[in-house]
Amino acid sequence: MKRFIHHYLQLLAVATMLLSSCVSHPDVPSSSKEAKCLPAIFPDYCNVTVPCNIAPLNFMLPTDQYEACIARLTTPDGQQQTYGNGVKVQIPEEEWHAMLDASKGKSIKVEVWGRQKDDWLSFIPFEIHVAKEPIDEYLSYRLIEPSYVAWTFMEIAQRNLTTFEETQIFNNEITMNDRTKGQCINCHSYQNYKTDNMLFHVRLSNAGTVIVNDGKVSRVNMKRDYTISGGVYPAWHPTAKLIAFSTNKTRQAFHTQNPNKIEVYDLASDLILYDVTTDSVSIVSNDSTLLEVYPTWSPDGKYLYYCKSVPLPEEMRDKDIRTTYPKIQYNLYRRSFDMTTHNFGDEELVYDAASSDKSVSLPRISPDGRYLLFALGQYGCFHSRHHDADIVCIPMEQYTGTALTAETVSPVDLSLLNSKDYSDSYPTWSSNGHWIMIASRRDDDNYSRVYFAYFNNGRVEKTFLLPQEDPELHISLLKSYNRPEFMIEPVKISVDEFSKVFDR
Amino acid sequence: MKHLRSICTLLFGVAVLLFYGLAYPHHLHYQEQYQLFLFDSTYVWEIVRVPGGLADLLGRFCTQFFLYAWVGAFIIACLLTLVQLLTLRLFNVQWFYGLSFVPSFLLWLFLLDENALLGGVWAVLLTQFAICGCLLVPKGWTRHIVILITIPVLYWMVGPSWTGSHYHRYPTVTPYLLYAAWLSAVILPLLVHFFKVHGSWFKVQGLSGQRQQIIHFSLFTFTFVIMMMIVWKNANLKAEKVMQYDFMARYQQWNRILETINTEKPNNQIGVTVQNLALAIHGQLVNHLSDYNQNGIAGLLPDVERDATSPLPTAEAFYQLGMIYVAQRTVFEAQEAILDFQKSARCYKRLAQTNLILGNYEVARKYLLALQKTLFYRDWADETLPLLGHEDAIAKHPEYGRLRRYAYNDNFYFSDHVTSEMLESLYFSNTDNRLALEYLMAYYVLTGNRDSYAKLLHHISAKQ
Repeated sequence: MKRFIHHYLQLLAVATMLLSSCVSHPDVPSSSKEAKCLPAIFPDYCNVTVPCNIAPLNFMLPTDQYEACIARLTTPDGQQQTYGNGVKVQIPEEEWHAMLDASKGKSIKVEVWGRQKDDWLSFIPFEIHVAKEPIDEYLSYRLIEPSYVAWTFMEIAQRNLTTFEETQIFNNEITMNDRTKGQCINCHSYQNYKTDNMLFHVRLSNAGTVIVNDGKVSRVNMKRDYTISGGVYPAWHPTAKLIAFSTNKTRQAFHTQNPNKIEVYDLASDLILYDVTTDSVSIVSNDSTLLEVYPTWSPDGKYLYYCKSVPLPEEMRDKDIRTTYPKIQYNLYRRSFDMTTHNFGDEELVYDAASSDKSVSLPRISPDGRYLLFALGQYGCFHSRHHDADIVCIPMEQYTGTALTAETVSPVDLSLLNSKDYSDSYPTWSSNGHWIMIASRRDDDNYSRVYFAYFNNGRVEKTFLLPQEDPELHISLLKSYNRPEFMIEPVKISVDEFSKVFDR
Repeated sequence: MKHLRSICTLLFGVAVLLFYGLAYPHHLHYQEQYQLFLFDSTYVWEIVRVPGGLADLLGRFCTQFFLYAWVGAFIIACLLTLVQLLTLRLFNVQWFYGLSFVPSFLLWLFLLDENALLGGVWAVLLTQFAICGCLLVPKGWTRHIVILITIPVLYWMVGPSWTGSHYHRYPTVTPYLLYAAWLSAVILPLLVHFFKVHGSWFKVQGLSGQRQQIIHFSLFTFTFVIMMMIVWKNANLKAEKVMQYDFMARYQQWNRILETINTEKPNNQIGVTVQNLALAIHGQLVNHLSDYNQNGIAGLLPDVERDATSPLPTAEAFYQLGMIYVAQRTVFEAQEAILDFQKSARCYKRLAQTNLILGNYEVARKYLLALQKTLFYRDWADETLPLLGHEDAIAKHPEYGRLRRYAYNDNFYFSDHVTSEMLESLYFSNTDNRLALEYLMAYYVLTGNRDSYAKLLHHISAKQ
C-alpha cells in the first residue's frame, strides 16, 4: 500500500510539473518600483505593428539582469491575461490568436514587470499594434553557419508564420555522395509566392538545379557551351514558365582587418532566360566587360529588372579585381519583355546609384507595382556582408523614363526599418504588399535574422524579429537565416521525394 | 579458477589502459576536440530522437572526458572489459574462455581509427545488456513478450546495424570491425550454445581442475598475444606523433615542442608548422631554420585546406602572430570541415577568443554561452564572459591585450595564400611584434628574397 501511495505521489508530481510547464498565468506583483523606461525585452517588440495572424510574440528579459518576468496583456475589449515563466514570456498560440482577433486594427497593451533579487520593477507599458492585413502564412529560408568557404550541414526550411512549426524542405546530407567535396544547397525560389512551381540549386556533390514544374520534380543542368555557368540567382516569371537567372563566376576574398570579414565578388556575370517547358536557355545580357546580376520581374511580368556594374575607370581596368573591387558599383536597369515573342526591349537605367558613389543590389518590385525595394551599399553586390548596407524604397511613380538618382528621388522613410552600422539586405514584399521582410545582422553583426515591417501607403512601421516559441533561440542559434522568401502555401514535396530526383 | 579469470580480465583492462594512456593519448585528445557535448535538453533530444541516438549520446558523453587522456583510457578500458565480461556471461562455457575477449579486441582494433566513435562500443554494450536482460526473464511466454518489446527498444537505442548510425566520423565509411565485434558478441555465444547442445567436444568435460586451468589459461594467452600483436601492428603511431604536435600547439607547450623536435625532427606538415611556431616564439626561427626540416613557405603558414585537422595548428600560428581575422577564418573553416557535422569545443573556445579580441562581443557571447553548457569549458567561459565589452580589462589582459596591439593598421584582401605583404604589413603595424618579424625574415630566407631581407635588417639596425 505504501509503495502504491509512493508511486501515486510521484505520478502526481510529474503531472503537476508537466501542467505547470505548459502555461503559466502568474499574479502580477503586489508592489513594485517604477522603472520609468520601456522594458529591455528581447526581441524588442515594444510598439511594433504586427500582422493579425502572426505567431505569439514571445519575449524575455536579459538573464544576467533579471530573475523573473511577468507580462500582462490587455486587449481592447478589456480582457486581460498574465504570462511569465522565469525571465521568459511565452504565450500559448490559441490564447494569442484570440487576442489578435480581438485587437485587429487596434492594439494590445503590454505591461511588464521584471524581478531583480527581491524587488520587482514595473516598466512603462507598450503596445503591440495589430494590423488588419495578414502576413503570408509561410516563410522559407536557408539555415547556414555564416561561413567563409567551407560549410557543414545546411538546410532549406519552411516556417509557418502563424505558428512555430518549422519543417525541412531539403538538406545537404541526404544526397551528398561525396562528403569531402561537400554539397551546397541554395537559391530557393518560387513562382508568385506559390510552391507548385519552384526551384533550388544543389552544387558540388550531386549537382544540379531542382525544378518543380506543376508539382513534378526534375533535376536539370543549366550550363550551356555559351554560358559562363549554370543558373545562379533566379527569378520566376510571375505567370509564364520562364525563369531569369544570372550566371556568375563568383570568387571570395577575405579582409585582414575589416569587420565585413569576407568579400564575395564576380569575375564575370551575365543574364539568361530559362524556358522550363522546353529546357532551353537563351541569353538576355552578356556584356563581357560588365557584370549583370540579380534579375527580378515586375509583378505583371512585363519588365525584367536587374543590377549592372558601371565601367571602371580606364586606369583600373587591367588591375587585380581584389584591388579594384571597392570601386565596382552597380546601377539598377530594366528591360521590357514581350511574353509572346520572349524578346526583350532596350535597356533603361532606372536608378543611378554610382553617381552618388553607391551600389545597388537585390531589387524587388511591390505586388501592386508601385514601390521598388533594393539594398544599397558603398560598392559591390554582396551587401549581406557590408556594414553600410541599408534598404531603400522608392515610389515607382517617380520614375518617368529618366534615371533616378539620390538627388532626384524622394525615397520612402525607412528609418524604422534599417539598422545603424549593420548589414540590412535581401528585402522582399509579402504577397499583399503590406509586409516588408529583410535579412539583418543587427543583433550581433554576424548571424543574420529575419525582420518584418508593416508597410502601408508609403509609411513603414518599426521592424520586429521573427517570433520564436523560445525567444532565447535567436541568441543561442549559431545559424544565419539566409534568403528569406514568402510563400502563401507550404512546399508539399517531402525531402525524400526531392532526393529521388538524384537517383535518376 | 574464478581468480584466474578475474586476473585475465584485469590484465586485459590494464593493457587497454596503458595502451591508450601511454601509446595513444593524443588520439583521445583528437577525438575530444571534434565534438561539443552540451548539457542541454535540445542538444540531447536532437541526438536521442533518431535510431542509434542513445548509443551515440553515451559515446559523446564519454568522449568529453578524453580531454584528459588517462581518464579517457580508463573509460575505454572499463567499456572493453565490460564487453568481455558480458560476452563471458553469455558464453557460460569455460572451454572457450579465451574467445570471450574477441569482441573486446575487435572493438579495440576499431577504436585505433581516430575517426571511429565511442558510440559504436556503446551499441555493442547495449545489445549485450539487452540480451542479458532477456535471459534473466524465465523461459516461456514472458520471455517471448520481453524479447518482442526489447527488439524495437534496442533498435531505437543502437540504431540500424548496417547503415545510418553515428559510429564513424566519415558517414560513408562502413565500420566492418565494429560490426564484426557486434556479431562476435552476439553470435559467438550462440555458436557455443549450439556446440554445447549438439557437439561432441563437450563430452570431455571430465578433465581435472588443473588441466582445465591449463587449457583455460592457454586459450587466453593465445588470444591475448595474437590480438595484442594485431593491435600493435595496426596502431597508427605516425598519426599519434602528428596529433602530439597539434596537442602541444593547442596548449602552447613551446618548451616541450623544442624538446620533442630535438629528439626527432618532424617531417610532416603539421609537425613542421608547430616546430616553426615554437622556434619563432623562442626567437630562434631565423637562426635555426636550416637545422630542421622545412617545407618551403608552406612549412611556415600553410594554405588552409578543407579538412578539420591541418588548419588548426596553422590557425594557432595566425593567432599568436596577431592575424586574428585570418585565425578566425581558419578555425571556422576547420570546424566546418568536421565530416559528421559536429561542432568543436576547441574551435568554439578559439572563436570566442578571436571575436573578443576583434570586439565582436555579441558573437563571442554566443560561443561562451554554449561553452557554459559543457563540463570542462564552463569555468573558462565563466571567467571570460565578464571581459566582454570591458575595453580596459581586455587591454590589460596579457594575451588579448597584446594581440589587440598587434592588429593590422591597414585592411587589404587576402586569399588562401599567405604573402610576404601580409607579414610585412603585420610587422610594420606594430614593430614590437617579434613573432611577425621572425616569420617575415624566415619568409624572405625561404623564398630567397635577399633584397627584402637586407632592407629589413637595415630597418631593424636603424631602429636600434
